[in-house]
Amino acid sequence: MSSASEIAPASPPRDGTSGPRDTVTGPSPGRRPGSRRARRAVGTAGHHAFLLVAVAVMVLPVLWALATSFKTAGGVFDENPLPLPPTLDNYRVATQDFPVWRLLLNTTVMSAGVTLLQLLIAVPAAYALVRFPPRAHRAVTAIVAITLLVPPQSLVIPLFLMISHLGWRNTLPGLILPQLFGTGLAVILLRDHVRAVSPTILGAAALDGARPFEVLRLVLLPILRPALGAVSILLFITAWNEYLWPVLAAPDIDHATIQPGLAFFLTQEGPEYGPLLAGSMLATLPIVVVYFLASRRVTDAFMHSGLR
Amino acid sequence: MTYLVETTKAGPTGDPGTEPGQAAEVAGASPAGITLTGIGKSYGGPRDALDVPRLAIPAGSFTVVVGPSGCGKSTGLRVIAGLETPDRGSVLIEGTDVTGLPPGERGVAMVFQDFALYPHMTVERNISFGLRLAAKHDRRGGPRRDEISSRVADVCARLGLSELRGRLPGQLSGGERQRVGLARAIVRHPAVLLLDEPLSALDAQLRQRARAELVRLHRELRNTVVLVTHDQLEALSMGTNLVVMNRGRVVQSGPPADVFRYPADTFVATFLGSPPMNLHAVTPVGDGRILTGPGLAARLPTAAGPVLLGWRPADGLLEPLGPDLAGPAGVPTPGGPAPVALADQAGPARAGEPAVPGEPGIVLHGVVDVVEFTGDGTVVTCVGPGNGIQWAVSLRGIDNVPAVGAPVRVRVPAERIHLFDQDSGVRLGAGPRPGGSGI
Repeated sequence: MSSASEIAPASPPRDGTSGPRDTVTGPSPGRRPGSRRARRAVGTAGHHAFLLVAVAVMVLPVLWALATSFKTAGGVFDENPLPLPPTLDNYRVATQDFPVWRLLLNTTVMSAGVTLLQLLIAVPAAYALVRFPPRAHRAVTAIVAITLLVPPQSLVIPLFLMISHLGWRNTLPGLILPQLFGTGLAVILLRDHVRAVSPTILGAAALDGARPFEVLRLVLLPILRPALGAVSILLFITAWNEYLWPVLAAPDIDHATIQPGLAFFLTQEGPEYGPLLAGSMLATLPIVVVYFLASRRVTDAFMHSGLR
Repeated sequence: MTYLVETTKAGPTGDPGTEPGQAAEVAGASPAGITLTGIGKSYGGPRDALDVPRLAIPAGSFTVVVGPSGCGKSTGLRVIAGLETPDRGSVLIEGTDVTGLPPGERGVAMVFQDFALYPHMTVERNISFGLRLAAKHDRRGGPRRDEISSRVADVCARLGLSELRGRLPGQLSGGERQRVGLARAIVRHPAVLLLDEPLSALDAQLRQRARAELVRLHRELRNTVVLVTHDQLEALSMGTNLVVMNRGRVVQSGPPADVFRYPADTFVATFLGSPPMNLHAVTPVGDGRILTGPGLAARLPTAAGPVLLGWRPADGLLEPLGPDLAGPAGVPTPGGPAPVALADQAGPARAGEPAVPGEPGIVLHGVVDVVEFTGDGTVVTCVGPGNGIQWAVSLRGIDNVPAVGAPVRVRVPAERIHLFDQDSGVRLGAGPRPGGSGI
């Protein structure tokens, strides 16, 4: 707000006598500098209050779940939000009676596989679209972008029939390959990153005798490393949180991923909330770790993708 | 260009059959060097970005391609390099048709305006990249590892980069990056070295040094160098061969001194030289040896039609014009035919219109408008009578500079006068035909 009045000195000063410079710099002989400052303080406070509420709405359920995961079986529905005394029983049940580690491993393999294969397709695609544009490259790019608009749910039935006929249920190919329909996002994101690389550098590599694939491998990929990191984190988190397809493709508890696998805690005797929440915490743990390792890149990735 | 006056037909001395583009042809050029034939490239605009019927760049020359931005000079360079595919035509390098070859197999190297260093490689690895690739592609005939390192060491020593070999490009100054780009280009001993405005990213002081370094390097390497620039000073000072381009076409080529002395048309005349050549539209009087315009009278050794008279600011001799010297118009001069009635041209005659000179040459009258001190000399911009007609004179010294508002007279000797067709802007008569000088 102060900058607005600074760059627009032509606007008449509101407190009449003093010039705009006086109203901006606080200790001035202006008539009521205090009221303006107070108004600004109120505005800032309101702004922060709004942000605090927004943060609370997002964080409180997670904290609640975290707290409950340490509660005893009887204390789950207590009014006391704090787990007193805390217990690791739920984690013991989750890790010993249920194959949580197995589920996490499955999810890791699946997410890594999806991420890797998507990059393997998207990097050459983006490179080719930018450096060797086909005559209809606009149309090709548009088609790639349109695939992002196809709701994944609409593809579930045909894809499910396909992997069923192939006998790929409860297998890694059945879990991973159909998820590659989302590669369009990676192509679009990487295409922008490739376009941002100075074409003269790639031209210089070509003049140095590098063949197109060598330009990609020796020059473009090293330059794109930060972008590739960001994009692969984005792809990994998206795959990690995938629910619908793993439910259908790998219902078997030995092949399931963690997100649908949490449903195994809903036993016939009713939901076991403590172990369920402990499992949920374990499921989010890898994402949290990734975030702490590369928080800047994660933020960048999501900011640039325009998702979530 | 405001001088261009609509007239009926160009003077008879002009040779309208000569296309400006053909001026580029160098008679009897050897197949070595670079030859462009029938090259055309369009980006879908109203006219071709590049349209070169024929251009020969002699082997071993330091050729400077100059022109305003968007004239196609960089596109031409990229076509030679193979980074751009022409729509038609062929490129010959050292007698081999390379039109279909990838950039790396043409025996050319290039220094880019932004230097285009690989940001993730050290200086040493930047320079050796091409050699390492060559070794990889051709394990038997390619350079051995010790050969690569000795060649890199050589070129680093030559360009003063030995201390910087372990640095990344991000840790270098602009001048150092430029030298790394140059080192990367010459380490492969290319037959042709292409330089795309390699100096424009440097500051003025560094540029002067880098210019001298490039010229010295060319003298030592003796390969064919093509440098693209929009800086007319670079164009005139560096090369042994100058190619002037405009609107996708080659307008003139030849030794810089010839191009400067005998510009093929008004574009070249005004593009090269600072301040640019003064041009005046004039009308012949009598037998055509006397030409007049507002504030101007000229006598030529031979007759001319309605033409554009050109003279370089440095060729004008400025004299202060006292009130007693500002005689009335139309004073009869000995040897001249009839008194010139200036009233026919630019409205009513005024005191201050110059008399037709007795000797061949131009006399101009005007009033000093702007005086610019350039260090070594002074540029005086004068306003003539009539509608804002301006011309500039450069004076060598800084003494005897007329005051702003003072009436002055400028004399231009006949041998320093350039004549151009009023319609086409093509050079008429005086001086060798463009391109006729050969190399």
